[in-house]
Amino acid sequence: MVRVKSRYLLCEVNVSESRDLLLLDDRAVAGAVRSAVARMHGDYGAALCSIRLSVKYLNVHNGMVFLRFPKSCYQLLWSALPFITNIESRGQQIPCFLNCLHVGGTIRTCQKFLIRYNTQQLQRILPKCKNAAEKDQVCQEILNCLPTRGSKPTYEGGSEFEDERE
Amino acid sequence: MSASKVKMRDRKMKNQPASVQYSSPSAAAGSSSQNGRQEAKDSGWQRNPPPRTGWVRGNQRDGGGGYMKEMPKYITAGAFARSRAAEVKAMLKAVTKRTGSNHVFQALPKHMRRRAMSHNTKRLPRRLRDVASKMREKSLQAGSKKKKELPKSKSRKARRRHGNLLLEFNRRQRKNIWLETHIWHAKRFHMVKKWGYRLGDRPTCKCYRPCYRAMSSHCLLLDISYYCCIELQGEEDTLLTALSQLTSKETGPTFAAALCLSGCRQGSVTVYRAGQYPSHPLGPVTFLWRPRAEGSASRQLWIWAHPALKQDLLPELQRVCECFEAVVPPVIPVATPAESASTLESEPKPEVSPKAKVTPGGKRKRSRVDAGGPPAKKILGDGTRSPDTPVTWKSSSTGIVINDLTMEMVRYRLVGPQSHSVLTESLEAATDCDAGQSQASSLWWPQHCRDERKMNLHQQQAEVFKTLKGIYSSGEVPPGTVLGLTVDDPRLTLPAKKVKAMPSVNQSQEADEEKRRQLMLRGVPQLCSQSCLWEQSVRDNVTENKISEQELNRMRSELLIPGSRLSPTPLQGRIPILLVHQPGKQVGNDMSSWGAGWDLLLPKGWGMAFWVPLVYRGVRIAGLHMSLKRSQNQGAPHFPHDYPDCPAGVRFQEEQEAELLDKFKRRPPAKRTNYIKHGCLAPFRCPWQQLVEEWELLTRQRGDGLARSTTKPKEEEMTPQPDHTGTKPQSVFTVIRSRKSLRLLSAWCRLPTSRGQRPGRGGGAPPLQQSAADAFLASHRMSVAWVRLSLLSKGKPELHAMVCAPTPEDLKLLGKRDAGTCPQEPPHRDDFKSKTKRRKKGSKKGAGPLQSSDYPGTEASEPFVYAEPDLVLGVWPDPLPSITSHCSRVTLGWITEGDFSLSAGCGEALGFVSVGGLLNTLLSQPEEHRGKVLLRNPSSLHYRFAQINIEV
Repeated sequence: MVRVKSRYLLCEVNVSESRDLLLLDDRAVAGAVRSAVARMHGDYGAALCSIRLSVKYLNVHNGMVFLRFPKSCYQLLWSALPFITNIESRGQQIPCFLNCLHVGGTIRTCQKFLIRYNTQQLQRILPKCKNAAEKDQVCQEILNCLPTRGSKPTYEGGSEFEDERE
Repeated sequence: MSASKVKMRDRKMKNQPASVQYSSPSAAAGSSSQNGRQEAKDSGWQRNPPPRTGWVRGNQRDGGGGYMKEMPKYITAGAFARSRAAEVKAMLKAVTKRTGSNHVFQALPKHMRRRAMSHNTKRLPRRLRDVASKMREKSLQAGSKKKKELPKSKSRKARRRHGNLLLEFNRRQRKNIWLETHIWHAKRFHMVKKWGYRLGDRPTCKCYRPCYRAMSSHCLLLDISYYCCIELQGEEDTLLTALSQLTSKETGPTFAAALCLSGCRQGSVTVYRAGQYPSHPLGPVTFLWRPRAEGSASRQLWIWAHPALKQDLLPELQRVCECFEAVVPPVIPVATPAESASTLESEPKPEVSPKAKVTPGGKRKRSRVDAGGPPAKKILGDGTRSPDTPVTWKSSSTGIVINDLTMEMVRYRLVGPQSHSVLTESLEAATDCDAGQSQASSLWWPQHCRDERKMNLHQQQAEVFKTLKGIYSSGEVPPGTVLGLTVDDPRLTLPAKKVKAMPSVNQSQEADEEKRRQLMLRGVPQLCSQSCLWEQSVRDNVTENKISEQELNRMRSELLIPGSRLSPTPLQGRIPILLVHQPGKQVGNDMSSWGAGWDLLLPKGWGMAFWVPLVYRGVRIAGLHMSLKRSQNQGAPHFPHDYPDCPAGVRFQEEQEAELLDKFKRRPPAKRTNYIKHGCLAPFRCPWQQLVEEWELLTRQRGDGLARSTTKPKEEEMTPQPDHTGTKPQSVFTVIRSRKSLRLLSAWCRLPTSRGQRPGRGGGAPPLQQSAADAFLASHRMSVAWVRLSLLSKGKPELHAMVCAPTPEDLKLLGKRDAGTCPQEPPHRDDFKSKTKRRKKGSKKGAGPLQSSDYPGTEASEPFVYAEPDLVLGVWPDPLPSITSHCSRVTLGWITEGDFSLSAGCGEALGFVSVGGLLNTLLSQPEEHRGKVLLRNPSSLHYRFAQINIEV
């Protein structure tokens, strides 16, 4: 197929103070990426950033970010990501670093990876739980995010929201 | 376009998770749509309330406020789990749900796709079939709303079977009236819906020039049965007094003209609303008096009017004659002549009974529709008419009976110098029958034969008809001559092959010569104008007893010698007809009596029986288009087109404007003519009223100016004028139809040295001077005059071309006689283009208030309401600026018809000019250039010189 090809990077924003994460927004992340690239690769890099760089998705609760780079130069841009040490958002400097988890050709593959990764993470914290209540909660969440075929009610709930939106 | 794009994008993004983040106050407005999506998703799970209150979101759960502060350690795992789980859910939804197109098979991998899957759900894997069939039903439902599928249950053969075809035709005739020659025309013509009829506009073959040639040298045939005939019966005096309210002697001979009253000439008048002569014209009608019968003062008058005029004319006639008592048609059996005809014609029964069954239903429906409007008789096909709409009105006080004979008679028009030879060749005077005397027959002809006097009259008429054969051209007969006749069924003498009817002039003898001269000078003797067609009973009798084509062919097949003439002629085949001479070009000096011809009036039902024999005599057939061209060549106004002051003309103008605008809008904007740039204010209509008002203002101003500047005696002449006009403020413009005024104008327009006979004809007219012009203007302030323009150089005038007054420099240009030079209009600027574009963009965004704030100055102060309905690119929006002074040359009027005239060999146009403007122009022109004006097409910048003519 003839289309404009991109690379989607699934990154995780790691912060020391988790409540700082909530301050983030997509423009701040994009700005941080831009400034890092400009710092590393100069004007050329800055120009590349202006092509099609965008933050497609950002979850402030766990710091997941989808970044879109043009396919032709994604490696160059990617190479600047480790140099991001803090993100300025809402007038605050948030010290953080970006950890790239996955590189995909479509958003869809990234989403699929994210599903797998998240379930994995949930399963990983289950043994680390400290009390029964917490354990129960995590168990419940794991059950919730099993493939939708098992969880009818939640699915229907989702469709209700769709209707509201329309 | 954009709306659908947005919609598609919405659908695509519906399931995609949006970023989960807190909006800052500054960014709130920008990403509102995202927030909406986010909110909905967020509410699915419990999440941490924000620690700061600055950007708290609305829908947080209860009890979350203090949660985090108290147990910061505890949170991490739970919040982590929760956020992960929520994200997983959102992502799962995004991954599993299909996006974009909603065809089921698009969810399949490519290798599982099959050809025509959307057509046949069985080609899908079974698990998808349910969904697919559901989708299919949905789309079918949506499709059925747009177009309903046609129930073509019957085969073509069944549909084309005679009875079924007849049913179908009857069904189709319920909406529009069909002429009797409809099927013949429909096979050969472009049909149009007009005035409630379905009429042939122009033939599908290319025959513009052949038709013109036929008109000027042979014969052209038109079916004008759609003209409406209204019959008035009553005492001569009462009729004349009633009708005299409608007409005025100033416009020419009225209903009471002696020649017409005797019944041997057809007359034509322009009818006005009762007693309102110069204003409120209705339109032109032709009329025909029945010759006086001995011993009875009662007279019969037929008024033939255009169908567009009938709805105005009929109520007016009723008012004038005080005929308000509608006479309900007495008996129902009259309404079903098809039934009675069927018994005689031995038509197969099953065909007729469904027809009879169907038609009443249709009629009832139509009569209900018609109840609100003026009562009009509708004809269904061949002679079936609605039984309950009144067609007759009578008056108890005046004793006049008005009878609406619409579609009761067939009228064919033969145009051209050889139309008489076509007639004489195809028709034969009826042979009298001796056998009929013995048997008492229900047919009219045997009874007619018994009367000696009537037979004598018939002999005389046949004699005249024979003499008609000898004349050279149809134009030689006195205009309007009427000849009554009874003829044999023309189908019997149908030639085997199409032959061209040629005149037979050479066999002249002394006696014939004398008769011919009589005919040419005096016309038909008054006695011979009588015809049985005037009798309702005879007409009905003839219509009912028509031999069907089938029967005729059966009789022919029984002949011993195939192809020989049927003899004796069947008794049913005698038809009373009326031949009415149509005058040709009567005005002007050249090409006189061009387009003269005969009208053939027949009882209804006999249309096709006469049509085909006429066609077999080599005539050309034309439609509405050619009849318009005929009147243009003839220099006569054509009814709805050239009567802008009549209600029918106004209606026609509106229709025409809508049609032209629609046609204009159908072009892509880049390919449209920008009329604004061409300086054409009204390319699709002619705002006569505005023109006349502007000219009145102009002349008044000029008159005031002159009065102030010029010498005393002139001032004395000038001063009474404004008072004159002030006393009668006419609000509506009129067309000058008074002969005296027209003659005066005509004399003024003519070049002083042009024609030899001019001094003789225009001798009575005062020379063109300021005073005379002012005196004339005083009585015709709000008038336009109908003029004929012939171009002096090349060029073809088009519809709604502007007539402009030349400047003195232009006239100098004309003096040089340099063929290539003609004045030009400088291109105008289109200020509306940007507005149109901006408006378009604005409507795309839906930003209404943006516009009013955008326009500074005058535009903003004016409310933009007028431009709201339609701001079409290239056409001026509705309140037009000053018409007269819009271009570099002053506009006088417009063209209503224009074309290259094949008879004159140059462009010719008919149009109207404002009288004030015309006189102003004439006064300012030097003698040798009198009557020269400029003509400019709407889509051109070139002015062409034209000579103005007013012909009386």
